[in-house]
Amino acid sequence: MADAFSKCHPAVNFLFFVGAIGMSVVIQHPAYLFAGIVTGAIYYLLLNGKKAWKTILSLLPMFLVLTVINPLFNTLGVTKLFEVFGRKYTIEALLYGAALASMFVIMMLWFGCYNKVLTSDKFTCLFGNLIPSISLLLLMVFRMVPNFIRKTQQIIGARMSIGKGISETATTKEKIQDGGTVLGALTSWALEGSVVTGDSMRARGYGAAKRSSFMIYRMTGTDWILLVVMLVLLGVTIAAAFFGQFVATFVPAIDIAPVSWGLAAYTCYLLIPTALHIKEAFQWHISRSKI
Amino acid sequence: MAHFQIKDLSFSYPTAKGRKSLDGISLSIEKGEYIVLCGKSGCGKTTLLRQLKSVLAPHGKKNGEILFNGIPIEKVSQRDQSAKIGYVMQNPDDQIVTDKVWHELAFGLESLGCDQKTMRARVAEMACYFGIQDWFHRDVANLSGGQKQLLNLASIMAMQPEVLILDEPTSQLDPIAASDFLNTVRKINIELGTTVIITEHRLEDIFPYADRAIVMDGGKVIADDTPRNIGKLLYEQKNDMFAAMPTPVRVFYGAEGSGDCPLTVREGRTWLSKTYSEPKVNTLPVDALDEEIEHPALSLKELWFRYEKDSPDVLRGVSAEVPTGTLYAIVGGNGAGKSTTLKAVCGVCKPYRGSVKVFGKPIEKYKAAELFGGCLAMLPQDPKSLFVKKTVREDLCEMTKDEKKIAEIAAVCEIEGLLDSHPYDLSGGEQQRSALAKVLLTNPKLLLLDEPTKGIDSFFKEKLATILCKLKEQGITIVMVSHDVEFCAKYADMVSMFFDGQMLTTDTPRRFFGNNSFYTTAANRMSRHVFSMAVTAEDVVELCRQNVGAEV
Repeated sequence: MADAFSKCHPAVNFLFFVGAIGMSVVIQHPAYLFAGIVTGAIYYLLLNGKKAWKTILSLLPMFLVLTVINPLFNTLGVTKLFEVFGRKYTIEALLYGAALASMFVIMMLWFGCYNKVLTSDKFTCLFGNLIPSISLLLLMVFRMVPNFIRKTQQIIGARMSIGKGISETATTKEKIQDGGTVLGALTSWALEGSVVTGDSMRARGYGAAKRSSFMIYRMTGTDWILLVVMLVLLGVTIAAAFFGQFVATFVPAIDIAPVSWGLAAYTCYLLIPTALHIKEAFQWHISRSKI
Repeated sequence: MAHFQIKDLSFSYPTAKGRKSLDGISLSIEKGEYIVLCGKSGCGKTTLLRQLKSVLAPHGKKNGEILFNGIPIEKVSQRDQSAKIGYVMQNPDDQIVTDKVWHELAFGLESLGCDQKTMRARVAEMACYFGIQDWFHRDVANLSGGQKQLLNLASIMAMQPEVLILDEPTSQLDPIAASDFLNTVRKINIELGTTVIITEHRLEDIFPYADRAIVMDGGKVIADDTPRNIGKLLYEQKNDMFAAMPTPVRVFYGAEGSGDCPLTVREGRTWLSKTYSEPKVNTLPVDALDEEIEHPALSLKELWFRYEKDSPDVLRGVSAEVPTGTLYAIVGGNGAGKSTTLKAVCGVCKPYRGSVKVFGKPIEKYKAAELFGGCLAMLPQDPKSLFVKKTVREDLCEMTKDEKKIAEIAAVCEIEGLLDSHPYDLSGGEQQRSALAKVLLTNPKLLLLDEPTKGIDSFFKEKLATILCKLKEQGITIVMVSHDVEFCAKYADMVSMFFDGQMLTTDTPRRFFGNNSFYTTAANRMSRHVFSMAVTAEDVVELCRQNVGAEV
């Protein structure tokens, strides 16, 4: 089943990830970090299914390594655990490392979700209106790469079947020469193709008038509501930052602000995609059980 | 007022040293007409079509005038030309600009700066009309060739053109996708009244429905009449283009029939039953197939292959034996695994089960140099993938330094005059022959051909057939994979049907196509109710002659 949040307008998707990833860069408060990891992991799991466990678990060793390494470089802190190479290894620095590692994990999780939700066509659709020529260029480049790979394979296959493949005994020089030949053939083939593409573009009026951009996605009522809710929650979270609710210093001494309403707003914000996903699954379940 | 009025148009390319590619062409094309433009490759069809749209018109010296709706074409604005004159080219892949189907559909409208509402409506309309809604959100890369070409057409139709110009649109498609595409074009012409100007090799599918056929030769219009009259005219002139006419036309004139010339298989059937209601001779001799093949050039045993570990099997137990010195054809649907079989023979694909023996020796036992130097070679589907140099001569020199050998092979493939051209400047048929020459320079005893007739016209097909016959005389065994049933029926010694990853039946072409009722040649479909085992136009003509002789 497709994810409900992915079906929203790309602008909503994009704003959400700007908020989620942007916040994760600045927040070091453990409660917020915890909320970030849990919500990020849940949504990542919902998006990718069971096999996502592997990815999430593979983040764990990375988390541990980053945590343990930090005190080696950062010797500030008051509670000394032991000494490494004559330098202090402190609890504060270790916790600080954990916080930094969490930030990293959160970012990895949300970027993973971002990749799955905001596909390249959504991205170009979003920015196509601002810079039509560049977004078209990007699109064509995206298309070109797999095309090139396919054609290269075709050329190599064709050369192999007339005995011009790279033999097992070929020297490096021969291999390089052969690669050059294939590359040359590929270039002329691609140039030939691009002439046709150019003709096809001009035949369909490219450059004849000012370009507009077709938006396949439309802002629906739900999208507007989501957008407002997101902006409100984001606003509240930012306000919480001004009230000093994010404050968390680890070194030299631990000083963490008490948990307050800011955390609620932040968590709600991060739960939006998950909530949408669950809501839709639930509705689907109900409507199916009615049949 | 005519839609297009061409007055005494001449054109020559800057490099042609005064040779005219178009020479004094005068034509008038009415609104809503369906016009077929035919002629040999290089007769100026494409050059003429491109003149009808200024942005595509090549540089060169032009005389004469083209009026579009009464206005000289140069004076019609870019915008109007883009919207009103739609142009579909040969290559389905390269014409596509964007990466998503929906975006490609909207591309023309975006260029014209349409607003969202109009675009939305037009795109939806087109997607429904062309049956694209099911793959509307797909990546372009995942479409088949036929779907791609349909998308190109739809994307142009979204701009609601008045004229649709198609330059060999189906040359890269398989027969089923091609007739789908051509039916859609016809539907557009009938239902929307869009003027259609089309050039095609596959006249069988469009000739009967055209309002007019225009035949070009050497940059001149040599005939401009209804399809029925064109057939007669070409027959009387003994023009090379007669070979490209649909089978019923060729049979009718070949058998010197009287009355109205049939254009479709149905008309052909009616005509045959009227003329030969009780034929005295109704079948042709059928050679039996040798069951035992001694010293096969190629033998495949139970080949199994898949491209990826989790993907379905493409080859599912392919077995075949190819007798030495024959032309062996493998026919079958798209994606059945025919090309993969050839790749397995060459070792480009490695089957995970089964064995390939070339001249009785397992392929693994050959060294690459031994196998591809004087034993086995393959001509790939796209001849362009073999060209790596700037001229055909340099490309041939890549294979051997022996000038004499090159000259000899060039003579066999009839490309002596093309040696100094850039391979990309050649026509499809010429490219095919140049690539074949390159392949032949390895001195293969077993030659594999993947779709050798794709995208080449009937004239070049005959040339190719002559070359293949010459090679066979030299003792070369040829294995050919093809969609072209007419070609296989005429020239192959054995035909195999490939289906569902297996080689199902193998027989001589006469028995193979004679016993099929759907997957067979037009000649057989047309004549099967009066004659049996007649699979080519020549067969049917032969039987007609015999019957005429018997009556006397």
